[in-house]
Amino acid sequence: MIQASNISHFYGSEQVLFNLSFEVKSGEFLFLSGESGSGKSTLLSILSTLLKPSSGELLLDGKAVESMKDMDYFRQSKIGFVFQFHYLINYLSVYENIALAAMDDKKQNINKILDELGILELSSRYPNEISGGQRQRVAVARALVNEPKIIFADEPTGSLDSKNSTIVYELLQDAQKKGTTVVVASHDMQIQNYATKIIRLKDGQIL
Amino acid sequence: MIAFKAICKNPFKSLLIFSSITIAVMAIFLISSVSQGVIGMYSKMIKTDGDIIITQKGISDTFFSNVDISLMDKIDKLEHVSSSYAMIVGASPIGHIPIAGIYGTTANHFSHYKLSSGDYPKEGEVILGENLSKQFKTKSINIANKNFEISGVYRSEIGFEEGGVVMNITDAGRLFNRSASFILVSSSSPNEIDGIVQKISNLESEIEVKTTQNFIKEYNQFKIIENSSFVISFLAFAMGLMGIASVMSMIVNSRKEEFGIMRALGKSRFFIIKNLFFETLAMSLSAYLFALILSLGILALLPHIEMLQGYVNGTLSLATALYVLVSTLFMALLGSLFPAWIASKTDPILLINQGCA
Repeated sequence: MIQASNISHFYGSEQVLFNLSFEVKSGEFLFLSGESGSGKSTLLSILSTLLKPSSGELLLDGKAVESMKDMDYFRQSKIGFVFQFHYLINYLSVYENIALAAMDDKKQNINKILDELGILELSSRYPNEISGGQRQRVAVARALVNEPKIIFADEPTGSLDSKNSTIVYELLQDAQKKGTTVVVASHDMQIQNYATKIIRLKDGQIL
Repeated sequence: MIAFKAICKNPFKSLLIFSSITIAVMAIFLISSVSQGVIGMYSKMIKTDGDIIITQKGISDTFFSNVDISLMDKIDKLEHVSSSYAMIVGASPIGHIPIAGIYGTTANHFSHYKLSSGDYPKEGEVILGENLSKQFKTKSINIANKNFEISGVYRSEIGFEEGGVVMNITDAGRLFNRSASFILVSSSSPNEIDGIVQKISNLESEIEVKTTQNFIKEYNQFKIIENSSFVISFLAFAMGLMGIASVMSMIVNSRKEEFGIMRALGKSRFFIIKNLFFETLAMSLSAYLFALILSLGILALLPHIEMLQGYVNGTLSLATALYVLVSTLFMALLGSLFPAWIASKTDPILLINQGCA
């Protein structure tokens, strides 16, 4: 599902990733671990197409990202994102935030997903009217709505307590069990319990 | 739909943008209109009652012009001349009013000033414009240390006249030490005006004779007013428009995180720019309309503000209104869409992180 070959990245003159190569198979749960500054968030951004690598080649679902013609469609249909700070749009309701991400033929899934995640009653509320844990569940719902092939999550539980963290991990594991590839970058070693593959980074290199 | 939700969900921010655009557009309207109004009032004053104007040769301003009033007798005898009148224009403090226009005219021109009360002035008397008359409760006024009885009050559509004083030309001649500032001539035959101009020019070497149309076009004072009005309006316009572009640009920059999220969710650059286009269009169009209504209201009120004596009037032409509309929309869209287009080309994660910073 993901093939990374010799991925390197620079911020200005500072190199943060050094020739990283690895493969993630379809349906795997990859845990990218490492300390702050190890490069795991940068690597996750590159793997999820949100950042162009300085060099190297990345294949997602068998397609080379660099030469991909319709990146927007690929992102919307094949990839789901969960960020640390949920990044919901504050002037859209919970339902509208998910509808914004949903493809036309997936919009009928919204209420079902909200129901499965236990937040259906929040659908008309705005992000500033719900708790942090509820916002992160909305972010997960938004990532799942298009039934993507890969979900990328960057510190998805960074701002949550342990109870809400477990809920988010279980939601991601449920998605993985249904065949979705899940890639999570986090400090939280609790994810080891859910991961099928772990890549440890230190100073931009795989240990 | 998203565009309107963004406007409604952030009422304070939207109000700030709306107010900034409204104030910028109003500044453009009011400065341009008042400058145009000054020229409009003076040209109307001259254009209303004559086809030909005679001034002193080589004098750029009617305030300093001195024409021999006895010339009128010779002019009246020319073929195709229906009437002529002479006028002295000056300005002086009157009582507690620091400055007011003074119009000395021959008796045959008094009927130009429509009396709302009293009688036309005899020697030693004056009539006051309605605006100016509200400032005086006395029966006489003092002009340049001379007392004049107030014989009546007149009204005029022209602001300069509404805030001024009309007197007999003999009295005005004594005040300003001249015979006449200019003589205005009306013709019974519009096709003969050029011929009359030539004939009057031949009567006297120290005069300049022009049709009133040409005079207005060539009058140096108008050129000065027009040029300074153009510079002031241009600066107001440029500052206003730059203000609009800056506000929109700052707003777009503060929303980079939102654009980054949309790009991460697979929304195209076109989707982001399209929504921002409608958001900016709705905001700037409504602010423009609001500014237009407020400006028209203020311009309608200006002539009635006693303190201004009716001297400050504004003319807002359709051409100016359309020009400002197009420029406002262009600058607002440029200010919002250009940074949005640049942002849309940036990697989404960088936009999200910039938004966080």
